[in-house]
Amino acid sequence: MEFEQTRRIFEKARERFGEDVSLSDRPNGEGSIVVEPSLIRDFTRWVRDEAEGSFDFFGEVCATDFLGRSPRFDLTYTVYSTTANRHLHYKTRVDDPDPQVDSVVDIFPGAGWHEREIFDMFGVRFHGHPDLRRILMPEHWRGHPLRKDYPLGGEEVQFSSNFADITPQTLPPAPGEDIFLGWDVLETQPSSYTQLLESGAELEHDGEGRMVINMGPQHPSTHGVLRLLLELDGENVVKAVPDIGFLHTGIEKTGESLNYQQALTLTDRMDYLSPMGNNLAFSLSVERLIGLEPPERATILRVIFAELTRIQSHLVWLGTHALDLGAMSAFFYCFRERDQILDMFEMVSGVRMMTSYICPGGLREDVTDDFVPALERFLKVFPDRLGEYETLLTRNPIWLERTQGVGKISAEDAVAYGVSGASLRGSGVRWDVRKAEPYCGYDTYDFEVPVGTNGDVYDRYLCRIEEMRQSHRIIRQALSRLQPGPVQAEERKVVPPPKSEIGQSMESLIHHFLITTIGFVAPPGEGHVPTETGRGLLSFYIVGDGSPKPYRMRARTPSFANLQALPRMLEGCLVADAVATIGSIDIVLGEIDR
Amino acid sequence: MANSHDVVPGVVFSTVDKVARWAQSSSLWPFAFGLACCAIEMMSTVAGRFDIARFGAEVFRASPRQADLMIVAGRVSMKMGPVIKRLYDQMPDPKWVIAMGACSSCGGVFNNYAIIQGVDKVIPVDVYVPGCPPNPDALLYAVTRLQEKIRSGEARPGHKILEPAQEVITVESGRTS
Ligand code: SF4
Repeated sequence: MEFEQTRRIFEKARERFGEDVSLSDRPNGEGSIVVEPSLIRDFTRWVRDEAEGSFDFFGEVCATDFLGRSPRFDLTYTVYSTTANRHLHYKTRVDDPDPQVDSVVDIFPGAGWHEREIFDMFGVRFHGHPDLRRILMPEHWRGHPLRKDYPLGGEEVQFSSNFADITPQTLPPAPGEDIFLGWDVLETQPSSYTQLLESGAELEHDGEGRMVINMGPQHPSTHGVLRLLLELDGENVVKAVPDIGFLHTGIEKTGESLNYQQALTLTDRMDYLSPMGNNLAFSLSVERLIGLEPPERATILRVIFAELTRIQSHLVWLGTHALDLGAMSAFFYCFRERDQILDMFEMVSGVRMMTSYICPGGLREDVTDDFVPALERFLKVFPDRLGEYETLLTRNPIWLERTQGVGKISAEDAVAYGVSGASLRGSGVRWDVRKAEPYCGYDTYDFEVPVGTNGDVYDRYLCRIEEMRQSHRIIRQALSRLQPGPVQAEERKVVPPPKSEIGQSMESLIHHFLITTIGFVAPPGEGHVPTETGRGLLSFYIVGDGSPKPYRMRARTPSFANLQALPRMLEGCLVADAVATIGSIDIVLGEIDR
Repeated sequence: MANSHDVVPGVVFSTVDKVARWAQSSSLWPFAFGLACCAIEMMSTVAGRFDIARFGAEVFRASPRQADLMIVAGRVSMKMGPVIKRLYDQMPDPKWVIAMGACSSCGGVFNNYAIIQGVDKVIPVDVYVPGCPPNPDALLYAVTRLQEKIRSGEARPGHKILEPAQEVITVESGRTS
C-alpha cells in the first residue's frame, strides 16, 4: 500500500484515538501505525469495522525481538481488505520482563494460531486467548527459540582443521550445556488424549460413548506429519484439534544467521511444492527493502516460473487428493506432467526441486536455449492432459459423492480465519493477490479468478482445476512478450558482475569478492510484499539492519492459516470426510511448521 | 549340499538362508511415510517415469506392521524423533532403514535447535542417500544397494546404530511394541 494511504488512515485514527497512535515512517515503503498496547483491541476492531476500506482479512501478527532496545518486542499486525484491495500494517510494542498484550482472537479468529506461535517462539503472553500453549515446539521445551538471546543450536561440524578439538556429540548433552533436552523429556510429551487434556486443549468430553482417535503424525492422508485429534460420536466428528510442529525446522532462525543469498535457499525447503513461488516472494521483499527493480525479461520469466510452479503444485495436490479418495490412476497422470515441468526446472537451474533460481535482483542465470521449445511442447499438450484428469474425476459419481457438500466453510468464516488461495475462493470470495495487489506486472495479463459457490471440497477442486487453465493462459501471454535482454539488475552492489567483467576490472573483482564472501548489504528498514502461491497468500516480512543478514525473516504462510480453519470445516462431518477435507485445503506441512 | 549325481534336472539347490535373503531383498515393502521435501521425490520414484516397481519395492504400506523398509524421507525434528523411534519399533523384523536426503542423514542445511542431526541418532540406518533432495534415480540406486546388502547377508537390523547414540538408545531387534 502507498504511504499516502497509510497516512490517511492514520489521520482518521488520530481523530479517534488521539495521541496514543503515531505514524512510523518505514524507510522503504508503506509506513505503519504504532499503537499503544492497551489500545490494541479497540484499534483492531476499529480497523476492521470503521477504517477506510474496512480491513476484514487477518493476514498475520508477527513479532521481532530488538534485544537491547526498550520496549524490546515489536508486534506487527498485517490486515488486508478483500474489497478495497489493500493492506495495512500496525504495530504495538511490548517490553521485558513478562511481555504481554491483549489477544484479538475474538475480533479475528484467525489470530489464534499466530498468537500462539508468538507465545511459543518469543514468550509474549496474550491476555484472553482461549488456548495459549506452545504450538510448534514440544510442550516441555525450554526457552523461546526466536528470541535473539537464544542460541541457534545445532552441532559443530568437524573439518580437518578443527577435527582434534571436537569430539562427536553424545546425546543427551550434559545438563545446561545444550538446548537439547534429552530423550526422556521428549518421550513424555503429551501423546495421549488425557495428557493433551491436561495440557490445556479443551476437547469436550462427556464420557457418553464418545471416542477420541489420534490421526497422525504418521498417516498416509495427512499429507505429511500433521496430527489430528478427532473426537467422535459414532462416525461423526464432534471436534477436531490439529497438533502441528512435527516438522518444525527453525527456518526463520536459521535464515537470520545467514546472509540474504543463503537464506534464499531455505525458502525452497519451506513450501517444497512451490519452491519458485517462495523464491519469488522472498526476492520481492528483499528487493523492496533495498529498492531494486529487476529487468523486464527477468520479471516475465518470473511470471512464467511462478505459474509453472503453481501448476506443478496443483498437480501434486490433485494426484494425492485423488489417491486419498481411492482414485489411484489420477496420481500417475498428474506425475507425468509434473515431471515434464520439473525437467524444465532442471534445465534452467540444475535441480528438479530446490531451484533457488529466482533471486534478489532477477534470476540466477538466463534460461537455456532448449527451455523455450520445451515450454512450448508442454503448453501444447497440457490442455488435453487437463481434460484427461477431468474425465477421470469431475463427473465421476464416486468422486461427487465423496466431495460435494463435504467440508463446507462459509465465506465469512473463511475470511475471518484468514483462509486464502483456492480454499477461500471455493467459498465464493473473489480475492487473489495477483489481482488485488498486483506484483510482477500481473495486472497486465488477461486472466480470470475462478470462484466457487458452496465452499465445499468439490468447489475447491473445481477452482484449482480452473486455476491451472488460467495459469496456462498467463504463461502463453508471458511467452509472447519474452524479449532478449539482461535477467539481472545492473546493481553491482547486489548482483555479482558477469564473469567476463571480472578479468578486466578491479572494481568488479572486488564487488564479486564481497558479494560472494560477505553478501550484499541491505539498509535498515522493512520489506514486505504479499504474493499468491498455489496455496494462497504468502509474504515474507524482512527486517534489515544494515548488515548482510536479515535481522528478522518471517514467513506468513498460507497453509498455516488455512489449516487453522480445518476444525471449522470438519464440524459434523464423517471420519472419512476428514480425509477428503484435509486433501482439499492442500496443506504443506513444511510451510506450516517452518 | 547334495551330491552331484543326486541332482534332478530343473531343480536348483541352495541354502535356506540364501533363498530367504533373496526373497526378502526382491520384495521390499516400504513404509508409506514421508516427512518433508524428500517425500515428494519419493512419490516421484513411485510414479510412472521412475517406477520403483521394477525393483520389487512398490508395495507401500500405510502401517508399520506390514512394512519392512523404512525410507526416512525428510528432516527429523525434535518433536518427531520419538515418533519415528516408535514407528521403527513397531515394524516387524527383519527390517531395514534408508536415510533419504541430507537432512535425515546428517541434518542437512538445518544445523539448528529444531532438527535432529541425522536420524541415525534415533534408529539404525542401513543406507544413506546424499542429495537435497536426492533424485529418484539416487533413491533407486539406494534400494538396489540395500538389496545387495541383504543378499550378501551384510545388512542386519539393529547392528548399525552409531556408537555415541548406543548409550542412550537401545534398539532391541524383534521388539514389536
Ligand atoms: S534433504 Fe533437502 S529435500 Fe530432503 S528433507 Fe532435507 S531439505 Fe528437504
